[in-house]
Amino acid sequence: MAISEFPLELESGRPAVAERPLGALTRPRGSQGWTSWLFTVDHKRIGIMYGAAALFFFVIGGIEALLIRTQLVQPDGNLLSGDAYNQVFTMHGVTMIFLGAMPLGAAFANYLIPLQIGARDVAFPRMNALSFWVFLAGGIFINTSWFLGGGADGGWFAYAPNTGLVFSPSHGMDFYAIGLQITGIASLVSAINLIVTVLNMRAPGMTLFRMPVFTWMMLVTQFLLLFAIPVITVALFLLMFDRLYDANFFNVEMGADPLLWQHLFWIFGHPEVYILILPSFGIISEIIPTFSRKPIFGYTFMVFSGIAIGFMGWGVWAHHMFVSGIGPVSVAAFSLSTMFIAVPTGVKILNWLATMWGGRLRFTTAMLFSVGVVSMFTIGGLSGVTHALAPADTQQTDTYYIVAHFHYVIFGGIILGLFGGFYFWWPKVFGHKLSERLGKINFWVMIVGFNLTFGPMHILGLQGMSRRIDTYAQGYGFEFWNLVATIGSYILGVAVLLFLVNVFSSWKRSKHEAPVGPDPWDARSLEWSIPSPTPEHNFDETPVVHGLDEWWHRKYGVDEDGKVVRLAHPEEIAQKGDGTGVHLPSPSYFPLLIGIGLPLIGYGLIFSLWFAVPGALLVLGGIYGWVFEPPDDPDAPHGHEDHHDVEEAPVG
Amino acid sequence: MPGRFRPLIAVPLLALVLAGCADDAELDTLQPQGPFSRAIDDLLNPVLIVAGIVFVLVLGASFYMAVKYRVRNDAEDEWPEQTHGNTRLEILWTLIPAVILAVIAVFSTATLFFLNDEQANAITVEVGGEPVSWEPEVVVVGQQWWWEYRYYFDGVDLEGVQTAQDLPPADIVTATQMVIPAGQEIELITTSRDVIHSHWIPALNGKRDAVPGRFQPWLIEADDPGVYFGQCTEFCGLSHSRMRMQVIALDEAGFQAWVDAQTAPYAPESEDAQAWLAQQRALTALAEGEELDEEPLPAPSATAVERGIVTFRQACSSCHLVDGVNDDIYTGATVVSGAAPVLTHFASRTTYAGGIFHLYEPDGSMDENTLEAWLRNPPAMKDMYAPTRGMPNLGLTEAQIDDLVAFLADTGTPPSDWAIAESEVE
Repeated sequence: MAISEFPLELESGRPAVAERPLGALTRPRGSQGWTSWLFTVDHKRIGIMYGAAALFFFVIGGIEALLIRTQLVQPDGNLLSGDAYNQVFTMHGVTMIFLGAMPLGAAFANYLIPLQIGARDVAFPRMNALSFWVFLAGGIFINTSWFLGGGADGGWFAYAPNTGLVFSPSHGMDFYAIGLQITGIASLVSAINLIVTVLNMRAPGMTLFRMPVFTWMMLVTQFLLLFAIPVITVALFLLMFDRLYDANFFNVEMGADPLLWQHLFWIFGHPEVYILILPSFGIISEIIPTFSRKPIFGYTFMVFSGIAIGFMGWGVWAHHMFVSGIGPVSVAAFSLSTMFIAVPTGVKILNWLATMWGGRLRFTTAMLFSVGVVSMFTIGGLSGVTHALAPADTQQTDTYYIVAHFHYVIFGGIILGLFGGFYFWWPKVFGHKLSERLGKINFWVMIVGFNLTFGPMHILGLQGMSRRIDTYAQGYGFEFWNLVATIGSYILGVAVLLFLVNVFSSWKRSKHEAPVGPDPWDARSLEWSIPSPTPEHNFDETPVVHGLDEWWHRKYGVDEDGKVVRLAHPEEIAQKGDGTGVHLPSPSYFPLLIGIGLPLIGYGLIFSLWFAVPGALLVLGGIYGWVFEPPDDPDAPHGHEDHHDVEEAPVG
Repeated sequence: MPGRFRPLIAVPLLALVLAGCADDAELDTLQPQGPFSRAIDDLLNPVLIVAGIVFVLVLGASFYMAVKYRVRNDAEDEWPEQTHGNTRLEILWTLIPAVILAVIAVFSTATLFFLNDEQANAITVEVGGEPVSWEPEVVVVGQQWWWEYRYYFDGVDLEGVQTAQDLPPADIVTATQMVIPAGQEIELITTSRDVIHSHWIPALNGKRDAVPGRFQPWLIEADDPGVYFGQCTEFCGLSHSRMRMQVIALDEAGFQAWVDAQTAPYAPESEDAQAWLAQQRALTALAEGEELDEEPLPAPSATAVERGIVTFRQACSSCHLVDGVNDDIYTGATVVSGAAPVLTHFASRTTYAGGIFHLYEPDGSMDENTLEAWLRNPPAMKDMYAPTRGMPNLGLTEAQIDDLVAFLADTGTPPSDWAIAESEVE
């Protein structure tokens, strides 16, 4: 809030005018042209870039998935060698989790949190840019392994000692260990940034319990990231030292216990599941009330069940290890905790249904995807209960039954929700809707493809098909359902393609169409009270919040009979987007420089320390320059009448 | 939304139903053949039903609402009653799943502790003519990419054993297939010599990971004699998919006969071969500087088996053991795990090379072609990182291959016809 009203000053009262840290180089300016994207600190542009990059990686991960399914379409498949298959399924998991689903969540968080809480930007705009560039650099770094000796081949879970040098001599696991440390920096920076943003930058009147459920779920997610990322970073760091510097953290001959890795990985890995799904829960908690024309049912329950999931998510990690040999007491304890985490999740499902109950449902594409989440995630949740039964899990674990389960959670629960979010917020971000007609086709093709792909995997798993096998022999009864699953996966591929077609054709079409208004869906939260696409400065003036669903309450009231009456039309009361004097944080070179530097250090560690020299210089130089760079550029025109006596000059 | 959605939703549900009906799935988890897998099945089935009911209710509610509350005109400006929640209702539907889960948890925990029993009841087995009281105990060792089974009739003392490499010598060592008495609890002590594997015979129990440096005890039991299929289920590298195994359960007499056969070392019929092996043994036993005071015997070469013995001793001893042929010079395998399949009584097994090839044709004759192809170029037959992790191409001549096959066929009596027939994947 404060940031949008005053120029930043040092506490001493001295204006924050600093020397140019790079001497002759001037600070980047302007909001036009491609360079403005490279140096931007605008949370909206960063959100868009997060989304675009994540979709790119999502498509790569999808291609890897199609390779997997093509290999398994019939017994003794030989499209891929065993070695190539292991790389492909490992990179599929790594790409989808760390480079697809997580940053897609980050895209929504970055774009929407400041808008939903009525803020100008996030708390630390340059840190925000840093987290994006570091994520992108890490993602590209991991994927360059394909051209530098092969991708990681130890599974995304990377169980020691199979990932040690002896058993995985290529550089793939080095790329994994270092690349994920780099993307981990991105997640950590972003988590701290968004936590501070939510806690400190809410508009006047926006108490914590007036925040939209989406922002709440994102807040919980950021706390999970804050505590989970360090754990996997420790694990990756140990792995890196084992591989590069002959350490013995996972060397059984030297007395190491391989279960150390499993504990570290899953203490991160299970909260990670909630890191992935809570954003989706948040998204559909915005969409379902909007298209049911009812407020979310049991807001407090929804928020607290999200928080409960956030806490309980830390107490279930060893359910990934029921057959690892952790002892019956541990197994029993984690079996119980895993069953009971179904309770807050079940509450959410029932509250979404209750939100729809008695509503006036408009099945837009976004709503279809959201109802898709409720039903498909329920399947994933119920199969989850069947392997919370530790004895049953000893049959199910590491079979396709598990693959089916977590794809119903991750695709059915997360990806469907994110697609719903795309359709819902697309007009806010780009100023035009995605085609609803194509969108509905997109949804139905996706739901068919999804169920055909992953539904049969339940059967395959119960029939005893192991995970992570590059081929299977004839005669075990796996033939038919693998064929069905592969057909389904191609339908799923078509669905993703349809989405991309929709993006493109809607963009073409929008040029001939009137822009959508500020509030095309008749929605409820503050981001709909400003023009679409969101103006660079977000809010002309900081909104003052009086309750939950602030924007809806400005449009509608309830008369004595309990009937909803319209108070105003959105166009009348929405902000015009013509605000002047809004102070904008200035662009910066340094986040990008640091982002470029980190993977160079990574290459240096793997191949030759000489590569690390320019990388280290970029990182250190970037930090140095950043430290001496004031948050706002004193030479830049802000249009703020109280600011320096700088003329409104054309921006170059 | 309603009508056309329904069949799609039904797919996973139908899937679960159909899975129970498949009868040609050798690894099916829903066809228990022993008390432990049956206990799991008995636990899972009611939960699947409860889950199915919840699923139908949630889906039913969604469809009901989709039909009843759907508004087709997007422009319509009607608003329903604005309910914000209902604390009593929400507490209720927090409690209901909690209670259902609590009930399930009771049964789950009870089953868990039933399955956690790790001591098998003692049975009597004759070993070397002496009756021995044996609490059936088999040490199961995984390595890339095959399983080893070690039988200790006096029990295995794991005191001071850090890793599987330090395991004491066993009474019987076999590979790829485990033979057990039917109707008896068998304690498996699972471990690994390299990476983590997982031992899984779905018909007999769930799976347990084979973790290097750890010895994990658990039980399996087969109701009846038969062949039970298994597959490594923890990703273990290149040939994870080709790491299979079988459990062959025999009746009491059959098991006793198997023990009798397996505990005897290989003894060639040919007297020349016996004499030559004895002399080789004596040579190995010599201290440095000593010489044997008898004429060196020529290597026997009259029959293929004789030549095969000599070739095996010379070409295969750096990795493989046949007790009675090269046990005097065998010091372990020159691969990362330090172990290669022990081939004593090789001919008594139904499969080899990690359980992916059948040694016998369905008619009971040996499939020599596949075995020859394997010896000719193993890496071409199975993905491996030879020579450090897997069997390399030894460059054997065709004559050597023929001799080795003849020798290997002579290492034991073939398994019974029904075992050969049942070990085929249908």
